[in-house]
Amino acid sequence: MKKLLLLLVFGGWLISGNSVQAAMRVDIYGPGQNIVNLALAAPIRGPQTEATGMGAKLQQIVQQNLSFLPFMRLTDPKAVLGGTVLAGYEPPSLDFKRFQLAGSDIVVTTYWPEGDNGTRPVQIRAFETNTGGRLFGKEYPKVSSKDLPEVADRFCADLLETLTGDGSFFRSTLAFVKKNGKMNANVWLVKPTGRDLRQITNMPGESMSPAWSPDGRFVVFSHIDKQSHALGVWDRASGKVQRIRFPGNVVIGPAFTPDNKVAVALSNGKYPVIFLLNHVFQKERILEGGNSINVSPTFDKTGTKMAFTSSRMGGPQIFLKDLGSGSVTRVSKNGTYNTEANLSPDGTLVVYSRMTEYGHRIFVQDMMTGEERQITFGPGSDEQPSFCADSYFIAFASTRGGHGIYLTTRHGGDAKQVPTGGAAYFPRWGLPGGGKK
Amino acid sequence: MKRYALILTLVMALAAGFGCAKKTTSEPAYDDGMTPEMRAAIEQITDARVYFAFDKFNIQPEYKDMLKTKADLLKKYSSIRVRIEGNCDERGTQEYNLALGERRARASYEYLVTLGVNPGQLEMISYGKENPAVQGSGEAAWSKNRRDDFRVIAH
Repeated sequence: MKKLLLLLVFGGWLISGNSVQAAMRVDIYGPGQNIVNLALAAPIRGPQTEATGMGAKLQQIVQQNLSFLPFMRLTDPKAVLGGTVLAGYEPPSLDFKRFQLAGSDIVVTTYWPEGDNGTRPVQIRAFETNTGGRLFGKEYPKVSSKDLPEVADRFCADLLETLTGDGSFFRSTLAFVKKNGKMNANVWLVKPTGRDLRQITNMPGESMSPAWSPDGRFVVFSHIDKQSHALGVWDRASGKVQRIRFPGNVVIGPAFTPDNKVAVALSNGKYPVIFLLNHVFQKERILEGGNSINVSPTFDKTGTKMAFTSSRMGGPQIFLKDLGSGSVTRVSKNGTYNTEANLSPDGTLVVYSRMTEYGHRIFVQDMMTGEERQITFGPGSDEQPSFCADSYFIAFASTRGGHGIYLTTRHGGDAKQVPTGGAAYFPRWGLPGGGKK
Repeated sequence: MKRYALILTLVMALAAGFGCAKKTTSEPAYDDGMTPEMRAAIEQITDARVYFAFDKFNIQPEYKDMLKTKADLLKKYSSIRVRIEGNCDERGTQEYNLALGERRARASYEYLVTLGVNPGQLEMISYGKENPAVQGSGEAAWSKNRRDDFRVIAH
């Protein structure tokens, strides 16, 4: 009931209106990625009356959020002739010309019909400046000061979905590991924008390789203390952590399959093999094994493909298993040390780290063409890449400027650091609540 | 009040008594029931490490005599239990290194068992690259971190 109420409060509802519905699409997946110029009109509570309370704060958070989108360029308000404080929030009182002249493709208006102090509704709209067509419009009722980050995230997710077809980035939470000395690391959560940082485990020993369940309820991880390895399981519903032991010596690199089961490398004779566990974390069957090291499973969203690291040809390399036919093919063909594969949820790309003479670097391989591209170039060592549910953003750990978590995309480009307040490793994307809008 | 004073006096007398007893013991710090020979055996088992080449887990010939000595001591002192801890240098990645560390620990384990050590005296763990013996980068540090440690966990 509480969840439903929150959804009603923050989810907002679409605004109907007379303006033309536009259908602008931004292709972020193809090789020639578009750049979108977006202007944020000043938030208003009436004609040419700027909302300087919650309105200004919300504007600031939205601006910070949008700065994480590498394909979006925010228009400098000073470049808008006549300024960004508008007479109206929608046509016909909305003057598109000034934004066209400033080079903006999209203008976002924010209207606080009852003022912007206390608990008030806010309406946010986005228009294409050339056609005047509305891309998006939603009212978020009962917004108070503490709700502003949540409202900003929901709006940005909605806008991103409108433009690209997927708003997962702003709905995601990263699980990661934060070190606190030798053999001491715990699991934390943070939004990719750096907000809502919190610790979810507090156990002596080393936690590694956190992974979200697709429904966003569990985070599993490897836990190593002085005596043993175990599978750690954090339950979002209860906030409790279980430590599950298995026969043998290793519990390495757990990952969820799309049907909420866990695959993890466990001991089985001389070599670690990849086991599938059932819904109560008991061994169900072997997914991949043999007389070599097999670790770090990762799945696409259909659950039919599994990439993993194997030493079957000497040094560690990335392989792909078709779980239907059982056939295994080698993915990484260059370099002698390729590990930490992560399949894009859409199954089109695999990202992995390669040891080079300058440290580890991250590479992406197109699963259709076999083409491989390097997407990070240091400095330091870039490791543990992980795809967002949108198959576009990639988080990775890097030693550039201390151990931290950075964001890039399937195309590479400038990496942006996620503020984590300390040495951070093993970023893994998740959609708490299953990514419900 | 009188009762508390009596208890306090008794406690102090007991503490003083224990203090005097320790002073008369020849090896006060090691009064753990071990003979000097067993203590020397434990030191021999734990002090010498097995080192590995990069991304390898085979026992190199120069460590076979050392493992033979450990095996002889473990067979002689069957109450000693040892945890073999496999470790890696910082260059590899964490998950693969956990598996590699396990293979290193297993290599020593299997060698010792082949030499007749009771498997019940041994256990294994991999710390990957999380427990370096030496801090720093460069082959001098790396070569000291690609290792098996032998820790006595019971005797």
